Amino acid sequence: MVMWWPCSHREPGDNGLTTERYARQLLHWGEENQQRISQATVLIAGVGGLGAMVSQLLVRAGVGRLYLVDDGIIDWPDLNRQVLYGEKDIGCGKLQLASERLCAINSATEISLIEGRIDEDFVMPTDLNAVADCLDNYQSRFLLDELTPQGVFFVHGGLHGDHGQVLTLQSGKSQPLANIFAGACQPKGDIPVTPDNVVIVAGLMVNELFATLFGEPKLLNRCLVISLIDFHISFLDV
Amino acid sequence: MIEVQFFSLLRILLKQERIELSAVEEETVAQLLTRVQQQLSTSFVQKLLTEEGNMHPGTIILVNRHNIHHLEALQTPVRDGDVVAMFPPGAGG
Repeated sequence: MVMWWPCSHREPGDNGLTTERYARQLLHWGEENQQRISQATVLIAGVGGLGAMVSQLLVRAGVGRLYLVDDGIIDWPDLNRQVLYGEKDIGCGKLQLASERLCAINSATEISLIEGRIDEDFVMPTDLNAVADCLDNYQSRFLLDELTPQGVFFVHGGLHGDHGQVLTLQSGKSQPLANIFAGACQPKGDIPVTPDNVVIVAGLMVNELFATLFGEPKLLNRCLVISLIDFHISFLDV
Repeated sequence: MIEVQFFSLLRILLKQERIELSAVEEETVAQLLTRVQQQLSTSFVQKLLTEEGNMHPGTIILVNRHNIHHLEALQTPVRDGDVVAMFPPGAGG
């Protein structure tokens, strides 16, 4: 079920481009690209480690509309990396808190909440420019990719310890994620995840999301593999 | 030549990103792995294969961008000019 978070409002006369808010990034990517961001709709699957950071950065950049999907409750092991939450939030639902925090950062972004998991019952919105895969298991990732509307960019991020990867696919044109990652292992038990690696992989995902919104994805069918052990990056063509 | 690429933990383990081997007639991925192992001082094949020679879950093997699970698995043929990539992706988020 989609819930609309009623905090979206723009100040009179604010066209989203001329305010001081975006002055520093406008110097970098210009008004045309800012317009693309402000008109974009992105679905973020999972507002845990990656999703909390990805959603925050997109909102700070002035993305027009976000769909957030999650059904999790905040717990102590989340606090090392899930940047939207704190100690007082333990036991609360992630989705509602994430929307409140994001709304407080930038009320111009329209936020729609979809409480639930990515499973066979999930109904994918169709009005999307991009999907951010911030999930933590392959089964849901594969289904999310499969459900992504034709032509929409799917930006995948994943990590384990000091390693991570970011990959962009275009639904209907790229190989399905389930084909590429067939045989990948969902570890039993908890996956080692550190705050620094989450922020790095999330930052790279957001950089790539901007690139897709600007019409120039850099990682289309090209997996960026990051190793913090020796600050090494490499590319795996898929 | 056949280029074999190692990513992430495999690259760290083997301390190298790639190795090139001459192509051999009618060679499979399984046979190529054996040849690669013979060229390297660090053992790694046990991380990919069980003692019975089946694939462990965890590391994906791509031949020319295609996962061997969707080809002929370990019996997938490799030929001159092929690129074989091995990558254990991270599942966490």
